[in-house]
Parts: sequence; C-alpha cells; structure tokens
Amino acid sequence: MRLANLSFRYARKAPWVLHEVGLELPSGTIAEVKGRNGAGKSTLLRLLAGTARPTRGSISGRPPVVGFAPEIFPAQQPFTVSAYLAHVTAVRGLPSSVIGTWAERLGMENLLGTPLADLSKGSAHKVGLAQALLASPGLLVLDEPFSGLDERTRAELPLAMAELAGAGGIVVLSDHQNGLAGHPGVTHLTVEDAAVHHPASGTTGHGTTAKAVIEVTVDAGEAEAVTRKLRADGYAARIRPGTAPADPGPTPTGPAADEHHAEGPR
Amino acid sequence: MRPVLALARFKTAGYARAHRIVQPFIGLLAVVIVLYSTRVGVGQELSSYADSAVLLVPVFAWAARGLLDTDPDVQRLIAITAAGRPGREVGAGLLAAVAVNAGLAVLALAVPLAIGFSSMPGWPVLLGGLALHLLSLLTGTVLGALSSRPILPDSATSALVLLGGYVTMLLISLAPIPWLTVPLIGWIRAANEPSFLTAALPSLTAPTLFWCAAALLAYTRLRRTRP
Repeated sequence: MRLANLSFRYARKAPWVLHEVGLELPSGTIAEVKGRNGAGKSTLLRLLAGTARPTRGSISGRPPVVGFAPEIFPAQQPFTVSAYLAHVTAVRGLPSSVIGTWAERLGMENLLGTPLADLSKGSAHKVGLAQALLASPGLLVLDEPFSGLDERTRAELPLAMAELAGAGGIVVLSDHQNGLAGHPGVTHLTVEDAAVHHPASGTTGHGTTAKAVIEVTVDAGEAEAVTRKLRADGYAARIRPGTAPADPGPTPTGPAADEHHAEGPR
Repeated sequence: MRPVLALARFKTAGYARAHRIVQPFIGLLAVVIVLYSTRVGVGQELSSYADSAVLLVPVFAWAARGLLDTDPDVQRLIAITAAGRPGREVGAGLLAAVAVNAGLAVLALAVPLAIGFSSMPGWPVLLGGLALHLLSLLTGTVLGALSSRPILPDSATSALVLLGGYVTMLLISLAPIPWLTVPLIGWIRAANEPSFLTAALPSLTAPTLFWCAAALLAYTRLRRTRP
C-alpha cells in the first residue's frame, strides 16, 4: 500500500492537515502512528481506511477488505450487540459464526444480548474492535484501540494484530496508551507539521524497518504453542504448511524485525 | 449489490427501531385526513391523488432526511469500510429512503380506495395516481437527501432548507414555464385534464426526472467530500 504526494485539508482555504506525504506500507506491517493532539493522526487513519478522499495525491494498493475501529464507537444505536454484529457480518458477507469467535477472544460473550446504548465505554469499544476484526481484514485501521480496555483484551489485541500481519495484512493504529510497548516489529510513524515522519530512518513520509526471516525447528506438538508465544512477543510467525502436525519437525517461521526498527526506509 | 442491500436493511432496521418513522407517518395521516375526511366524488379521484402527491413531497423528504440522519456520523465511516467503498454507503442510504417512502406511498394510494373515494376508480386513475406518487416520492427523497446531516450538519438549517425548498418549488411551479423546477402545480392542473396519462404525464415526468437527477448528482458529488 502506497501513499504518493498525499495532501489533505478540510476546506478549500483551510490549512493543510497533511501535505505531500509519501509513505509505503508493505504487507505484514504493523505501524503505530504518534503525534500531538490535533496533529492529523485520525485524519491519516481515515485516509488510509478510505473513508476520506485525499485533496491531492493518491493512495494505491489498498487491500480490498478494510477494518476500521474508531476512537469512540457510536453506541447510541438501537441494536443489541449481537444484532449489530449480525448486520455487520451480513454487509461483509460473512457467516454469523465469526461473531462468537471474536466475542470470545475479546471477552464480550456476556454482552451479546445487551443493547448498545447500555454498554460501558470499554464494552462499547470492544464492539468497535469486533466489527473491525470480524472479516480478518487485509488492512486494519485502529484509532486508539487500547483505550478503556481490560487487561485480558489488552493482551489479546496485539495477538490479533500480529496474526493479521503474519497473514500478510497491514495494521495501522494510533495509540496514546502504549499498548504495543515492548512489542518488536512495530514501525513507528510520527505526524507533525502536516508531514509523516519515520524517526528511525530520519526520512519524512516513507520508510520502515528491514525484515529478516528466521527458521526455528521445534517438536510437532509444540508448534502451535511456540507460534503463539512468538506472536505474543509481536513477531509475525506462522507454521510452514505441510510441516505440522504429521511432520516431526514443524517450523514456525516469520519475518522478524530488529526491535529498534532502525533499518533503512522501505 | 449484496453489501448495498444488506446495508440498506441495516439502515431501515435502525430507522424503524429508533421510531423515527412516526414523524412522517403523522404527516401522512394529516394529509389523508385533510383530503379524504369527506368522500371524493366520482371523476374527482385523480385530482385528489394529484393533491396528495404534491402535499406528500415534504413528508417523503422528512422521512428520507430522518432515515439518512439515523446513523451516527462515525457509524457511516464504519459502514463505508464494511461495504467496501463510499459509493455503496451512499447508495444504500438512498435505497433505504426510497423503500421507506414506497411504503408510505402505498398507504397514500390504498387508504382512499378503502375510505376516501365514493366508488372504485378505473385503471387509468389508479395508474395516474401511482405515477404521480412515484414522482412525488423521488422529489421528496432527493430533497430529504440534500437536507440530511452529511450535507447540512446544523439541524435548524436543514429543516429550513427542506421546507424552504418545497415552498420555493411550489411558488416557481406557479409560473407557466414547466422546466424551471419540479412542476408541482403542473401535476395538480394536469390531473383535471381528460387525457392525463397519454398527453400530460410525459411532459410532467421529463422536468421532474431532470431536476431529481440534477439534485441526486449534486448529493452524490457533495457526499464525496462529506462522508
């Protein structure tokens, strides 16, 4: 996915929120966007998600399936959680069984029958995350995803992001909660003065860490557990097809980035 | 097409569950009571249908506006990503508005048959009434869309534009030049002519569809920068 000379402003004579931004987000990227309040992070996320059109420039290579979770989920809607998510699955053409899967992972099984308007802030935020994750999107855009979440969901969310990135997806999030602190393989971007900076590379606009692939050989029975552990640490890990469980030596592999993210720009 | 239909169902369900349908339904009820509190005599049925079609334009507009305003602003952004692209969200909203208004139009056509007309009119009258209410439905839907929250975020301005737009159409259509606006008064005048379906209707449909298409184009263009 590539942003070329992208500029955006809300009105014809308004100041530029983003100006001539160039950025490349290859498959497997988890990019965390930082910046002061009002710097343009949410605008950048909406442009990436395709809910806003660039004033100038272009975005190419956006994956066809996009998940977008807003900073504040609009809970004032006349549906229960399950009815709302059922409508989302219908729009996305998904089986309704995915609702149960994500309700369990995000710890919201007991909320399914609750009207959206009765949810607490954190519970409503989970619904916002669930509707974005249901479709296993190729591009997942999350605006402050860790805000108001309980410990269990805070731990689960990086795993879900790593899974998507491991499957070739792109994850972009803004985060003031440092929910991905300590997770390697995260590209850090800063929005400042209408530009997107990549501090590690010293470039403006585009750039990300170089990736390396390592192979780890483990017992077949441990493959799933090791893969989960690697993902929990923020690595994009997968079991090579055909090596588990029949193969005595399953090999979780995946691109692992230098945790300092200091390699050159992409 | 599937995402558009599913999203239109979602919007219609939200509209119904929020009980927003009550307001235009009361408007429809008022029009029906005014027009049919005394029985319409034989030969006057098409004229009554034309009055009904003209009076229902703001009701259809109010229903369309209410439906398009039901989703919170951020929900529209979520819907765009779920449906795949912005045009589908816009199309689903318009489709849902037309569906709701079609239900109201069916009531407006059926109620006088049961309690308003002295006797059952013939097919030409029924077809003429149907055509007039379809034109009214289209006019009301695009007027409602142009005054909906994505285009006019301020609710007072929005209500003024809706009602002002309707009154302006009425006043301009008093002029004898038919293409200046949707010829609302022309609908009423033509309904009294003997060969309404063959002579008058095509010349009324053309400017109505032209102005509806122009308004629809304006709405979809404006929505490109107002998701």
